Amino acid sequence: MTPSDAASAEKWNLRLYTAGQSPKSLAALANLKRVCEEHLAGRYSIEVVDLLKNPRLAKDDQIVAIPTLVRKLPEPLRRLVGDLSNTERTLVGLQLRPRQ
Amino acid sequence: MQQQSFEQELELLRERLQEAEEMHRAISHGEVDAFVVGPGGDGRVLLLANAYQRYRQLVERMQQGAVTATPDGQVLFSNQRFADMLGVPIPQLYTAPLESYVGIGDRARLSSFLMLSARNSQIEVELSRRDGTSLPVRISIASFADGYATLLVTDMRPVHWPSLAVDALDSIRSSVEKLNHNLAGSGPAREALRDISEDINRLARMIDEMLDVEAMRGPRSKGNP
Repeated sequence: MTPSDAASAEKWNLRLYTAGQSPKSLAALANLKRVCEEHLAGRYSIEVVDLLKNPRLAKDDQIVAIPTLVRKLPEPLRRLVGDLSNTERTLVGLQLRPRQ
Repeated sequence: MQQQSFEQELELLRERLQEAEEMHRAISHGEVDAFVVGPGGDGRVLLLANAYQRYRQLVERMQQGAVTATPDGQVLFSNQRFADMLGVPIPQLYTAPLESYVGIGDRARLSSFLMLSARNSQIEVELSRRDGTSLPVRISIASFADGYATLLVTDMRPVHWPSLAVDALDSIRSSVEKLNHNLAGSGPAREALRDISEDINRLARMIDEMLDVEAMRGPRSKGNP
């Protein structure tokens, strides 16, 4: 089964760790939303965790840099650090596209 | 069996290396603007300088004064609006005692307020402006961290009456000048008089509205609500 096949069948549960309205946090959320709408429409949920409000939550997913996206489902857990501005890298990181 | 264990461990290490490389790439490409630092669950978020820009612009442009002060009342930060309220340049405010910019009768209350500051508390005081006038303001705590209180200072004067009243008076003055200029002819003079009449009525309505607003605002109370 290719990554695309897998993506077409599963519910995606994504968690984005942000730092308030920092520019990179806002960019990451916008980029993530766009990628999800294009590749996972109707099959994804995004949980935004603002670490400025709750820094202790960083421990749950061992977050060091912000923004960081964590793919909770489908397993295995994957982490993507950064503003997700490189769509190709984001798709590969989420395993929506095979690594070249 | 041992071979399989080694392979699993190797795969795990590969994934961790890949994550570390990915994080290094994101940081070196400027794709992050905050870090979590601190041991275990006591992490704190440190924002890089550019991440503050949005908040800074908001604070600098808002119509409320913003001041950060130490518990003993030394000013560490002021936005332009607060400096304008006092009529002094911002650099003059740095490390100055905030008390020195309020009326003598309000100083003890302000001092106590800063020492005991807590979220959602507020007081009303008179600011002493450089030109000798005073300005009624409400001071509230916006945040309190590391021993420093960030205060929001709101001008308590009725918002509209000065500019509206001045506009109305200017309009009357303009109408009177028009009347003087056109008095020779009966038609224009009548028009000018009608303008004056309308302006007077408008002014009267505004005064009524102002009185309603003042009645709703009620008498200004001092001290903690």
